[in-house]
Amino acid sequence: MSELNTADKIAAYGGGGLVVLGVFVIGLLEMFLGSTHPVSGEGQIEHEALIPLEVRSGIILLGLLIWAAYAVYKVVATTPATDAGRTV
Amino acid sequence: MGTNVETRLLGRDVSFTVAEPWLAYWLVILRVTVGWWMLHAGLDKFLAWPFDASWFVGGAAAGTTLGPVVTLFSEGAALSFVNIMVPLGQTLIGLGLVLGALTRLASFFGAMLMTFFYFINGETGGWAHGLVTGELLGLLLFAMFATLGAGRVLGVDAYLAEMDLFKDNARLQWLIG
Repeated sequence: MSELNTADKIAAYGGGGLVVLGVFVIGLLEMFLGSTHPVSGEGQIEHEALIPLEVRSGIILLGLLIWAAYAVYKVVATTPATDAGRTV
Repeated sequence: MGTNVETRLLGRDVSFTVAEPWLAYWLVILRVTVGWWMLHAGLDKFLAWPFDASWFVGGAAAGTTLGPVVTLFSEGAALSFVNIMVPLGQTLIGLGLVLGALTRLASFFGAMLMTFFYFINGETGGWAHGLVTGELLGLLLFAMFATLGAGRVLGVDAYLAEMDLFKDNARLQWLIG
């Protein structure tokens, strides 16, 4: 059984946490306390959202950026000679 | 870190290593996200009640491959049944995935729903956006959740699997996981 190291945890909990926060947690809040459908199919704003859509999408974007930064870090931080037997 | 997977696929030996924590992690992230997709769609319809699916089962579906089956539900009691079952089904599928409860059962019905959406939306739109659409990807994700038993990762199914009801019934075990 393997475990996550510190960088793994930052990517997993930081990136994933922000994506789940933006998609699911705020979505749940909007559903019950705010606006279930703030924007119509044509893109017109119909109801004010509890948390502005720009903030919500920004949270998701930040999560995605953390995942992307982690992906780049894994490539850059890997030393070809010593980590040739990588398993992930 | 990782577990070595060794199997055979298309007649060839396949061997690769998977990191256990990342495998568990992505199963949960995908399950919760797809679950919220469905849960939102279902609750949204309940909160904006009444829901009328006649434009879809009676209008859009007519003339499509699945039309002969779907249009049977375009009138009367059958339409009333659809008007309730679509939002209720989406809500229950979403809850099942978010909570990881009866995940395989929820995934089966999720894939079934996506099959209708995929073909009817695709054909009525002339497949203008190509054959790979969000509905097809959703369908494949449901199939993956069912195959891998994603509910056992931080889900209610992990507890259900320990219950005698499920332990003693091999058929019921196919509904969880």
